[in-house]
Amino acid sequence: MSLAIPNGLDNSSERPGERAPLVLGETTYHDITESVCKVAERPPGWGWGMGFLTSIALLHVLGGLILYLIYTGVGVWGNRSPIFWGWPIVNFVFWVGIGHAGTLISAILFLFRQEWRTSINRAAEAMTIFAVACAGTFPGIHVGRAWLAFWLAPYPSLNLWMWPQFRSPLLWDVFAVSTYGTVSLLFWYMGMVPDLATFRDRSKNKWRRMAYGILALGWSGSSRHWMRYEKAYALLAAFAAPLVLSVHTIVSFDFAVSQVPGWHTTIFPPYFVAGAIFSGFAMVLTLMVPARSMLDLEKLITIRHLDNMCKIILATGCIVGLAYGTEFFIAWYGQVPAEQFAFINRAAGPYWWAYLTMVSCNVISPQLFWFKKCRTTPWMIVVISIFVNIGMWFERFVIVVTSLSRDYLPSAWAYFTPTWVDWGMLIGSFGLFFTLFLLFCKLLPVINMAETKATLAKQEHMAHGAGGH
Amino acid sequence: MSETKKTVHGIMAEFTSVDSLLSACRRIRDAGYTKTDAFTPFPVHGIDKALGIKPTKLPWIALVGGVSGTLIALTMQIWMNGIDYKYIISGKPYISLPAFMPVAFELTILLASFGAFFGMWALNGLPRFSNPMFTDPRFDRATDDRFFLYIDARDARYDSEGVRKLFADTGSEYINEVIEDDTPTKIPKPIFMVWGTMVAASVIPLLVVLTMRVTNSSQPRFHVFPDMDFSPAKDAQMSTSLFVDNRSMRPDVPGTVARGQMEESLDVLTGIDSEKLAQIDAPRADRLVRAYFFDDEVAKAEEVAEVTEAEGEAAAPSVMDTTPWVKEIPIKVDAALIEKGQQQFGIYCSVCHGLNGRGNGLVNQRAQSINSPTWVPPSNMHQDSLYSDKYPDGKLYSTITNGIRKMPGYAGQIKLRDRWAIVAYVRALQKSQNASIDLVPPSQKAAVEKAVADAKAELERQAAEAEKAEAERKAKEEKEKAEAAAKDAPAE
Repeated sequence: MSLAIPNGLDNSSERPGERAPLVLGETTYHDITESVCKVAERPPGWGWGMGFLTSIALLHVLGGLILYLIYTGVGVWGNRSPIFWGWPIVNFVFWVGIGHAGTLISAILFLFRQEWRTSINRAAEAMTIFAVACAGTFPGIHVGRAWLAFWLAPYPSLNLWMWPQFRSPLLWDVFAVSTYGTVSLLFWYMGMVPDLATFRDRSKNKWRRMAYGILALGWSGSSRHWMRYEKAYALLAAFAAPLVLSVHTIVSFDFAVSQVPGWHTTIFPPYFVAGAIFSGFAMVLTLMVPARSMLDLEKLITIRHLDNMCKIILATGCIVGLAYGTEFFIAWYGQVPAEQFAFINRAAGPYWWAYLTMVSCNVISPQLFWFKKCRTTPWMIVVISIFVNIGMWFERFVIVVTSLSRDYLPSAWAYFTPTWVDWGMLIGSFGLFFTLFLLFCKLLPVINMAETKATLAKQEHMAHGAGGH
Repeated sequence: MSETKKTVHGIMAEFTSVDSLLSACRRIRDAGYTKTDAFTPFPVHGIDKALGIKPTKLPWIALVGGVSGTLIALTMQIWMNGIDYKYIISGKPYISLPAFMPVAFELTILLASFGAFFGMWALNGLPRFSNPMFTDPRFDRATDDRFFLYIDARDARYDSEGVRKLFADTGSEYINEVIEDDTPTKIPKPIFMVWGTMVAASVIPLLVVLTMRVTNSSQPRFHVFPDMDFSPAKDAQMSTSLFVDNRSMRPDVPGTVARGQMEESLDVLTGIDSEKLAQIDAPRADRLVRAYFFDDEVAKAEEVAEVTEAEGEAAAPSVMDTTPWVKEIPIKVDAALIEKGQQQFGIYCSVCHGLNGRGNGLVNQRAQSINSPTWVPPSNMHQDSLYSDKYPDGKLYSTITNGIRKMPGYAGQIKLRDRWAIVAYVRALQKSQNASIDLVPPSQKAAVEKAVADAKAELERQAAEAEKAEAERKAKEEKEKAEAAAKDAPAE
C-alpha cells in the first residue's frame, strides 16, 4: 500500500525505463484522503482569514461600484469617444483568457492521457469558473442598461417584437461564454461528486453531513456508477476540448470581424487561444505554488507538476511572441496604409509603454523557463507567472485601446485615461475571484482524491509489475 | 427493533486492496452470481470484466443531445433572423449559414454535455439519498480506502450461508448483511420550512409582474431611471439658458467649411470681378476679402445688405449697377454642369419661376389665386433686362446667392458650384425660348426644322380637331334646344 520514492521529493527528472512518480512519499489511499480533507476540516488559519477579509472587502468595492455605475451611468468609466470599449472589455477578455487553463487541463490533457493533471485539475477548474464569473460581470454592466441585459437572450419579447441579431459576433460571444461557463460548471461539479461523498462520509456533524450528502447526490462508489461516470467524464472532456478552443476564438471574432485597423486580422483566433492558455497557466501557477505549501500538498502537487506547467507557459509564450511578430509582418506585407499605421502606432505611438510592458512580460520573461532552475524553484515560478499575468492584461489593453484610440478618422483621435471607477472595478474583480477561490479551498475538495488514488493504484501496479507480479 | 424484522437486501464484504477485490469479483462471477456490485473509492480498471458489467448506452444519449442542439440552433436562427424578423446585415442573404455556425456549435456542445451529464445521473439512478448500503458505518470507508463487494438477496443463487462462506474464502475480514435503511424518510422540518418559504417568496415577484401585465392603470408608469427614459439632451429648435442667444442648436464654428465646398477664388465666391473692384472701390474689395476669407460676420452682413437692399432705389445708379460683375461663369461649363443646373433649378427655382422660367410656378399661381397683398411676382426670365448683356452672370449668381426683393438668398440651401450651374442652366433656358434657327448647327438644322414643322402640324391638327369638336357640340346643343322647343310648343 505504500511506495517509496528513492530520490525524495524531487521527481522532476525522468529516469530511463521508468516513469517518474506523480504521488510522492510513503503515501497510502488514506493519506491522500487525509491530506486533502484536512484542508477543509481544520479550522481556518490566520493567513486564510486575512486573505478572506481582504477579498471580501475588495468584493464589496466591486459591488458598490457596480451599484454606483448603474445608478449614475456608464460615464463614470473612462470610456470616451472613440474608445467606447475601454477597461471593461479589457478586463472581460483578460478574465475569460484566465478561465481557459482549467478546462484545458481537465479536458485536453485528459484526452492526451497526461496523468500529471490529476492533482491540479480541480483547483484549475474552480479557477476557470470563478474567472468566467468575473469575466461575465463586465459585459453585463458594459451594456449600459444592465437591467435589460436579458434582451440578449432569444426569447419572445412582448416589448421588442424582435429577435437578437445572430450574425453579430457579440451575440456569438454571449452563447460561447455562457455555454463555456455552464459546461465548465457541470464538468467541475461532476468531477467533484465522488470527493464530496468522501467529505460526507467523514463528516461528524449532522448538518455538515446533510449538506455534503445533498451535494454528493447519494454517491456510493458502485462499479456500475463508476463505469457510466467515467464514460460521461470522457464524453464531457471530448466536448469541452473543442469548446475551450471555440470560446476564445469567438471572443477574438468580437475584434476580428470588425473593420478597425489592428483588429481586422485572421490571426486573431489562434493568437487569442494561445494567449488564453498562456495566461490561464500563469494564473494557475500564481495560485497553486503558494497554495501547495500553505495547504501542505507538496506530495500531491509536486515539482514535476510545476515543471510541466512552466513548459506549457514557455511554449505558449513563444507562440504569442510569434503572433506579435506575424501581425507586424502581415501589416507590412498587406500594404494597407491604415493597418500599417495601426501597428506602428501600437509600438511607437502614445501607448508605447503599454506595448513595451506587454512584450517584455509576455515574450521575454517566459524565456527564463528554458532553464530548469527557473522551472523548479517555486519563488521564481511565482514571480515569472505574475509578470505573465501583468503582460497578458496589457496585451488586451494594447489591442482594445490603441486600435480604438486612433482609427480612420484623425479628427476623432483621443487618449484613453481610466477613472478611479475603472481602477476600482479591476481591483474589485480580483476580490470576487479570490473570495470564491478561498471559499472553495475551505469548503470543497481542492484536489481530485478519487483520480489521485487511481493514479497511485496504477503507480503501485506498475511497481509490482516491475517486480514480477 | 429486532434484527429479524428488518428486510435484508444482501451481503457485503470488505477488502483492503484492489487486487484482493478483483480476485474476489472473479470468484463470485465464476460461482454464477449476477446481481452483484462492487463499491470502490476510485474507478478500478478491469472490474467491469471481473463482474460482467455491460457497457453503457450513455454515448447515444449524448449524441441525441448534440444532434438536437445543432437542429435547435439552426432552426432558431433561420426562423428568427431569416423568416420571422428579417435583418439585412452587410448584404448577406437572410439565411446565411456560415454566420449561424458559431451558435450552432455552442448549442451542440451544450446539449451534448447536458445529455452526458444528466444522462449519467439518470442511468445511475441518482440522486438517491437513502441507500441500504449506507446503514453500515463501516461503509463510510468506501469513499476513502476500502473496497466492498456486494451480492444482492434477489440473486437466483442467493443463500445467506453460502455467500458468507464464499466471501470468507476470498480472504475478506469483514462480512455483514445489508439491511433496510430505517432512518426517517420525512424531510426535517426546518429544511422543509426554509425551502417552502423560499419557493413561496420566489413566486411573489413573478405574480407582481404578471398582475401588472394584465391590468390597466390610469397612472403614468413608474420610471426607475427617469434620466434614461427622458433624456436631458436638447432637441433641435429648443431653447436653453446655457447660451447667450438662447438657442440649443449651435451655429457653425467660424471658419467651418462643408466637405467639398472649399473655394479659394473670390470671383467664384461672390460673382464679382475682384481685380476690377480693387481698382474702382478698394474699401469694398477689402471688405469682401474680410467677409469671405476671414469670416468677418459684420463685413458679410454689410455686403449682403448692400446687394439686396440697393434694388428699388431707381434714382441713383445703385450698387447693383456699378459693381463690376463677372461677365462669364468663372468655372468650367459643360453638359454635366448644365444638367446639374437643370436638376437644381427644378428643385429650388421652378416652384416660383416655373419650369420654363416664365415666372408662373405653382407658388405664384397660388399667390395670385388668393390675391396675396404682399406677393411680389417672380421675374420672367425671358426678358431683355435679364439677358447676359444687361444682367451679367456674376450678378445673376449674386441674386441667387443673396436674394432680391421677396426672394431669399439660397446660399444656405444650394451649394456654391450648383448656384453657378443654375446660372448656366438659366442662360440655356433663355436661349431655348429666344433663339434663331441660325444657332443650330447645319447638320442638325433639317432635323430641327422637321421637328418644328411636325410640332406645328400637330398643333394645327389639334386646333382643327378642337374646332371640329366645338362645332359638333354646338350643333348638338342647338339640335337639343330645337327639340326641347318643339316638345314644349304643343303644351303652350
